[in-house]
Amino acid sequence: MTRTALIIGISGQDGALLAHLLLGKGYAVHGTSRDAQLNPFDVLQRVGVRAQVHLHSMAPTDFRSVAHCLDRVRPDEIYLLAGQSSVGLSFGQPVETLESIAIGALNVLEAMRFLALPARLYHAGSSECFGDVATTADESTAFRPRSPYAVAKASAHWTVTNYREAYGLHACTGILFNHESPLRPARFVTRKIVGAATRIAAGSDERLCLGRLDIRRDWGFAPEYVEAMWRILQQPAPDDFVIATGVATTLEDFVARCFARVDLDWRDHVDHDPQLERPSDLARNCGDPAKAERVLGWRARTSLDTLIAHLVAAEQGRDWPMSAAATTDPETASP
Amino acid sequence: MKRALITGITGQDGAYLAEFLLAKGYEVHGIKRRASSFNTDRIDHLYQDPHESGRRLFLHYGDLTDATNLIRILQQVQPDELYNLGAQSHVQVSFETPEYTANSDAVGTLRLLEAIRILGLEKKTRFYQASTSELYGKVQETPQRETTPFYPRSPYGVAKLYAYWITVNYRESYGMYACNGILFNHESPLRGETFVTRKITRALARIHLGQQDCLYLGNLDARRDWGHARDYVEAQWLMLQQDQPEDFVIATGEQHSVRDFVTRAAREIGIDIDWRGTGSDAHGVIASAALDSAAKPGQRIVAIDPRYFRPAEVDTLLGDPSKAKAKLGWQARTPFADLVREMMQADLALARRDALVANAGYHAPMHHE
Repeated sequence: MTRTALIIGISGQDGALLAHLLLGKGYAVHGTSRDAQLNPFDVLQRVGVRAQVHLHSMAPTDFRSVAHCLDRVRPDEIYLLAGQSSVGLSFGQPVETLESIAIGALNVLEAMRFLALPARLYHAGSSECFGDVATTADESTAFRPRSPYAVAKASAHWTVTNYREAYGLHACTGILFNHESPLRPARFVTRKIVGAATRIAAGSDERLCLGRLDIRRDWGFAPEYVEAMWRILQQPAPDDFVIATGVATTLEDFVARCFARVDLDWRDHVDHDPQLERPSDLARNCGDPAKAERVLGWRARTSLDTLIAHLVAAEQGRDWPMSAAATTDPETASP
Repeated sequence: MKRALITGITGQDGAYLAEFLLAKGYEVHGIKRRASSFNTDRIDHLYQDPHESGRRLFLHYGDLTDATNLIRILQQVQPDELYNLGAQSHVQVSFETPEYTANSDAVGTLRLLEAIRILGLEKKTRFYQASTSELYGKVQETPQRETTPFYPRSPYGVAKLYAYWITVNYRESYGMYACNGILFNHESPLRGETFVTRKITRALARIHLGQQDCLYLGNLDARRDWGHARDYVEAQWLMLQQDQPEDFVIATGEQHSVRDFVTRAAREIGIDIDWRGTGSDAHGVIASAALDSAAKPGQRIVAIDPRYFRPAEVDTLLGDPSKAKAKLGWQARTPFADLVREMMQADLALARRDALVANAGYHAPMHHE
């Protein structure tokens, strides 16, 4: 029998890549956006799945719309990806951030109870919950959130845990570290850097303004991460997983590699702008994916250079792999 | 004169804190929710007629779920200290009203912090957030201290977790003087009637006077660190008087079970309880009672009602207040035995009043959960 998946917040990078993955696995895929009539679903178009997914309007902060949609779709698997997703913006819109993330999660869980829906829920947690990490964070590392976004995500994380323990729901949180692809909105720092580097290489005289360059992040390739989301829901018992590469790189190194990829020296083109520093920015963020490898058989395979190669290829209008299966790493493959 | 604003002034802590601050010479402003019925019992003794001069207690209608209302009150009051004690504070009820709990406890705290920023009061107004030992929930170490990781086990705990971290975040991001007091259970005769300690002393008093037969409880083996609310509001104030804002665990460092609380409270009124059975079959039978008691030996006065079990239980909470002692010079003053005695005697007096009213032919209040 065809399995049905509902992706709440399908119009972003992860929603589109997950839809692509699930369609490939034979799922009937439904997706939501706050206004499905108005949303152009550009990212779904780019991934080429716009016509194959069933789209619904749903406002996660409005219980009626959540319950109504879950009742109509009756999904076997629910992927909750919706919510205000920018750390920077969360300082300016703290209430919207909290409500879209935490009240949204609560409404989905309550709707599952209300409908007695035998569905499995994947909740998109965030590595931001850990805050600054001295070494690497795993599933037992205590949260130390440092932005309104991270505090809201921590709150939603615990709500999911509480509903799993209190009501026996099959609800899981994937604590995903940064995962990038050409589908990220342009405001994300990775897209911003790659975009500037490729334009400068093509003759633009623009300057790239960045905040702190000494921050370290654990960057993976998004198509592999949506594969992890799916695997998390295929386990017999619900559980939480850290999904990461296990490697931390400084933003400066990331910038240098991007510019080197297009044969430029970053130091000639980058300016520091203190305005772009956040009220409290994380110095270091790195995850330990050992449990995911042990239990899910999942491991990040795309190196940072390969990730950058994909991002640059897309900026230059060339193809890039949209599924994890196609991401054999040239760095590790035999020559 | 320093000015303080208290959300939740009509609650147990609000009442003790208002009294404490008035005695310290503060001008005290409080926010109360509008309700069809009077809801200011706990502070009526502090009330001053608006026509009096030199008034130092002021009440404002407000609600933590209304941002513009909070901004307007803060703008008017311009407080030096803001104590956020208002909340949906009942763990069991939070399972039934999770969204309301999140809205008042989590978003409400954010609304206050935002109100301070929007009014440019970051450097003037010191902020106290009433955090809770429920953050520790499924405890990760014992005793719990400021560094113990959180594991909330109820919508109340999760909402308070948000409030805790957003308070830390605003302190770090915007340089506000904002503190969390992680208070372990604190009780008093002013505790709400639906909280377990008050429920116990109230029921035992009524059983003693023949107004009630049996006390129904949930998890008798739950262990808590119980202090007296009067001691704890002083810690709240002390936290806002330091050079640097920090978070503190406020507790006694001593633990008792719900069963133990019942046993001691009953003994206060001359009743000895014999505990029998286990699990949902556990019950308390009177082994001996004072001659003047309406309760008689053999009577089953405590029983389990599974409806009071929480969907996810918090079995044990025990705080380590050593940081508060070292840095604030604070420690709990009221021993457990004195707390139980004070609550038992206060509820006995209330039950006697009701009996007197009923015996005189008038209608005595009869509150139920």
